Amino acid sequence: MRKTITIILLITAVFVPFIAFNVLPVIGDPSSAPNTHVSDHYIEHAIDECNSPNMVTAVIVDYRAFDTMFETTVMFLAGLSVIMILANRPKKKIFAPSSLKRFRESGHPIYKTVNKDVMISIIEPVILIYAIYVLFHGEVSLGGGFQAGALIGMTYLLDVMVVKREKPIFNLPKKRAAAIAGIGPFIYALTGFISIIGGGLYLEYNKFPFPIHQAELHSIGITAVEIGVTIGVAGTIITILNALMERISFDDDIN
Amino acid sequence: MMTLINTFLADKGIYMLTLLLLSLGVAGVIVCNNYMKKLICMNVMQVAVIFFFLCLGQKSPGTIPVAMDTVVKASDYINPLPHGLMLTAIVVSLGTTGVGLSLLLRIREKYGTIEEDDMLRREELMTRVEKNGGKRD
Amino acid sequence: MTLILQAVLLLGLIGITLAIIFGKDLMISVVIYCAFSFLTMLLYNIMGAPDVAFTEAVIGVISTVFFIIILKSIDRKTK
Repeated sequence: MRKTITIILLITAVFVPFIAFNVLPVIGDPSSAPNTHVSDHYIEHAIDECNSPNMVTAVIVDYRAFDTMFETTVMFLAGLSVIMILANRPKKKIFAPSSLKRFRESGHPIYKTVNKDVMISIIEPVILIYAIYVLFHGEVSLGGGFQAGALIGMTYLLDVMVVKREKPIFNLPKKRAAAIAGIGPFIYALTGFISIIGGGLYLEYNKFPFPIHQAELHSIGITAVEIGVTIGVAGTIITILNALMERISFDDDIN
Repeated sequence: MMTLINTFLADKGIYMLTLLLLSLGVAGVIVCNNYMKKLICMNVMQVAVIFFFLCLGQKSPGTIPVAMDTVVKASDYINPLPHGLMLTAIVVSLGTTGVGLSLLLRIREKYGTIEEDDMLRREELMTRVEKNGGKRD
Repeated sequence: MTLILQAVLLLGLIGITLAIIFGKDLMISVVIYCAFSFLTMLLYNIMGAPDVAFTEAVIGVISTVFFIIILKSIDRKTK
């Protein structure tokens, strides 16, 4: 009862000022304020300035590259803070690596007749190839660094959650995964310094000190930056997953 | 009839529904007693905000923002700027969800529950025991 | 036409949110949240943002898996 009254009160409080004033533009209007000023420049000059037909990628990693650098850093810091929050151990003796295996085997026995190992072994390389394709075609077609990183993280997640192995293929405990996640923003920041060496501003791709055409320089810059974003996002996802799973197995042993 | 509905939706209807979703998310964060539900409602709130930003970039006869040879006018492409901003926001929301879940685990370890009123009751009991020098009451 | 489709999908999202708030079982809430992110992905695709829809499709699955991992150590029932 209290829930319903609160929800109704909140909705009325939000709606009354909205109906009274008319400030927002009509949806689908090509000449409204958000659709005119700077976005027209982005749309018209994305190909000749950035050599990137996908305009979203051009906006993210070329026009607003400095913004995206700190977004990647925020992801890295989120993974680091998860490790810091879950760093302490309640009691010393509760460490038992066998509990993780019991976690993987849980489930109804009828699901053991399905051969999950073979299914996952077929699916995983396909997802990885797709992730690499999305990464290197990010400027031409849909996709980019963030999606490729999330796909690689999802592959690791599938491998850990579904397949029962004595020893995992990629042994990435949370500290090592956090170190990998830190490599991503490092590559991103280093790309900016290369353009300073060539005499330009920070992250100004057409001042790279390589003797090739202007458009190729932009392609090289975008690809390098997106590799950094991919490593950062994938490392962060693996870090959070490993930290949470490690703590869950600790928590299971207490009870 | 159809044009009337379309005009109403383009003028105010979509914004109203988005606002309804946002206020439901805020109400869930305020009302729910369980911290897990609060986290899920926080994600709902984020989806509402992202949807509002994407609404501003729509153009009614427009294609997706990937350049083609046959279309050269700028008013035929959907605005790519809100897409770029919101794409990073979605990825960062995964990081905030992870931090929230780790805080949830710590709360569960300290208090043994994730219901808010149980937690407050236990906190009060703990302070009272501390004040009495280790004894209850 | 797309605006009507968007409105229908938004009504679906609002119904799912009400089910999450008033539900009694946390597992059901989490699985319903997976459906929520799928509907959101359809919505982004309809309004012409395939990049954002791609990201949401992957991130929705990963955050659902995180929630389910946490559900192992806490009680499913809630008041």
